[in-house]
Amino acid sequence: MAKAIIMPKFGFTQEESTIVAWLKNEGDVVEKGDPIAEVTTDKIDMEVEAPADGILGGIRRQAGETVPVTEVIAYILAEGEEPPPPEETPAETPVADSSPSAAPAPPAAADATPVARRVAEAEGVDLAAVAGSGPGGKITRQDVESHVAGRVLAPSDEGNGRVRATPAARRVARERGIDLAAVEGTGPRGRVQEADALAAVERAAPSVVPTPAPVPAGEVEVIPLEGMRKTIADRMQQSYQQAPHITLTRDIDMTNAVAFRRYANDRLPEGAPRISMTALIVKAAAWALREYPIMNAHLIDDAIYLMPNVNVGVAVALDGGLIVPVVHDADRRGLREVGAAVADLAARAREARLRPGDLDGGTFTVSNLGMLGIDHFTAILNPPEVGILAVGRTTDRFVPGERGEPVAKPIMTVTLAVDHRAVDGALGAHFLAALCDAIEEPASIIL
Amino acid sequence: MPETAAATQVQTGTTTRELTYTEALREALRQAMEADERVFLMGEDVGTYGGAFGVSAGLIDQFGPERVRDTPISEAAIAGACLGAALTGMRPVGEIQFMDFVTLSMEQLVLQAAKVRFMFGGKAQAPFVLRMPGGAGTGAAAQHSESLESWFVHVPGLKVVMPSNAYDAKGLLLAAIDDDNPVIFIEHKLLYKTKAHVPEEMYRVPLSRTAVAREGSDLTVIATSLHVQRALEAADTLAEEGIELEVVDPRTLKPLDEGPIVESVKKTGKALIVHEAPITGGYGAELAARIAASEAFDYLDAPIRRLAGLDIPIPYNRMLEYNTVPQVENIVEEARKLVEGAY
Repeated sequence: MAKAIIMPKFGFTQEESTIVAWLKNEGDVVEKGDPIAEVTTDKIDMEVEAPADGILGGIRRQAGETVPVTEVIAYILAEGEEPPPPEETPAETPVADSSPSAAPAPPAAADATPVARRVAEAEGVDLAAVAGSGPGGKITRQDVESHVAGRVLAPSDEGNGRVRATPAARRVARERGIDLAAVEGTGPRGRVQEADALAAVERAAPSVVPTPAPVPAGEVEVIPLEGMRKTIADRMQQSYQQAPHITLTRDIDMTNAVAFRRYANDRLPEGAPRISMTALIVKAAAWALREYPIMNAHLIDDAIYLMPNVNVGVAVALDGGLIVPVVHDADRRGLREVGAAVADLAARAREARLRPGDLDGGTFTVSNLGMLGIDHFTAILNPPEVGILAVGRTTDRFVPGERGEPVAKPIMTVTLAVDHRAVDGALGAHFLAALCDAIEEPASIIL
Repeated sequence: MPETAAATQVQTGTTTRELTYTEALREALRQAMEADERVFLMGEDVGTYGGAFGVSAGLIDQFGPERVRDTPISEAAIAGACLGAALTGMRPVGEIQFMDFVTLSMEQLVLQAAKVRFMFGGKAQAPFVLRMPGGAGTGAAAQHSESLESWFVHVPGLKVVMPSNAYDAKGLLLAAIDDDNPVIFIEHKLLYKTKAHVPEEMYRVPLSRTAVAREGSDLTVIATSLHVQRALEAADTLAEEGIELEVVDPRTLKPLDEGPIVESVKKTGKALIVHEAPITGGYGAELAARIAASEAFDYLDAPIRRLAGLDIPIPYNRMLEYNTVPQVENIVEEARKLVEGAY
């Protein structure tokens, strides 16, 4: 569309300028900002610049003519475009009665005050939709503002993803952990009020569950769930929620195991790592896992994977965490080697020197809290494994002897947890019996 | 605990009578002058005539023209003489007949009095009080009805006090006379004839202590001067509908004790600010900003609203004048809308 070039106004009191010379000719290609004409006022000589890129055309005033400011003196045209006829002067404010046919008839004009029209324009309100309350039904500013206040927001207005909520409602959401986007607001224009947020809290938490008191500020040290803590939290929650645990408990007569361990350690060379009870249990577990392949498995999605190698993980407590390094091929390695591996992994775990391979490939886990004085406990499965053995301490307890007399024997209580999706109770019991037999008769596991 | 005027009254009021605001102010002046001979009065017609609103009536008979001094018709002179006397160790109380004419004192107050302590590194002080009645409602038109407190609130070095009842008027005036800083003491013409129980003894209402004038749970109305009374009337009306307003009176606008205001808004979750001065740039803007920036923000369940004078000079026509500043029915309507969730 043709872009009008008007006579510019350079000064407050200037009313006209005289064109001194055209610097470009009709048909010249010009760029925005190019000087195209030289003009003079009574005070100053100035250049008129092209207001756009295009072709200069339709020059209406010649050098020497004096022209009122804002009057069109020429046009910038597109390629092949004709300048508009002189009576159409885009730069002039169109006056309704000067060109009755030029503009489409305005929509049936609602009767409104000037300020109401201005507000309506600013707010994008169609006055036809506003009821007037002024004299003779004239639409007042207040009518428009009321209309704006009551207007239901179009979905696009909500498209920015922001929720309209009062600060109090936001505080409730923050403190009580609800999503305001899901709360229906009853305030003006659907704003979420504090009462709406509280009602949502009420719905989210059945009234039998006491709502946690807000954490008092400044008194509580906050430890974010991140790093190892986050991993533990995620995996244990997943396991506890997804894997139906069965727990099976047995007491083990440790008389032979204690003696065997002492016998073995007495014969180890000076400086060689001692064989811990954990190592003995790992070795026994590996032996039993070889006997019961279903226990040496991973459960992933809808399948049970029987694992070719017996890799027994040993839970090691750390400051603020827990890690499970793995003794690979525990079934194929000798007790002394397994003992050395357990000692090495535990030491490196505490020194944070484990290598990635040390943590991979576990097929079963042993968690021993006996050294901390725990009699027995249940452990949570370490997914995707299907079994974990929780080991308590060994203490002397009276058990019936051959004639029913009380006999003090070292007894250790172990609890096997299995994933019921993969392993049933009876099978778990058989596996646990084999494991206990192996510990009670350690000679069997070195066969 | 926010201090309530009533509670203070019980603690201190041994010999209480009903006094008007005017009488309470006069009693404060008399007691201060009896107790301390450095205290004296200056102003246009404060002597035999007793002041434009009669506050100092009779004091010239007791204290004589040396201590109750009529001045020329020059507000600049009144403020300047107060400052000069204060600098030499006196504790003057000046009176401006109508707050509107304090505009003529501005150079003395703003450029000199407010700054003297700062510019002399604390070695000089200007302990004086300048009393002045503000406010519309008497048909006194545009040049005798202004509420200009925001002008002074904006000036570091000045304290600004606006008592809303006779009890506070006496206690705050005595505290203001005790204060070592220039204090702009703004009375309201329509309060002069209001009555309250006022103890006879020389009690003080400490400066910068916001009062809770009425406790309520649904909406905090923070009002100043006359509009505390109008807010209390509105609260009575709304209580009949089951809407409980908490009315908070800052009493000292500067330095402001904002704690009770914040606590109140935290309790009610909604705030309406009412004052007579024009809304634009008025003290309500300061209050609203303080609330929005405070811990009360997280408790707001509606926009902070202001009800204040229109941005026009006070008209002479009584009907127009009436509708230029907030009235009780305006407070009732606005408070009801806020409580009912219209905003």
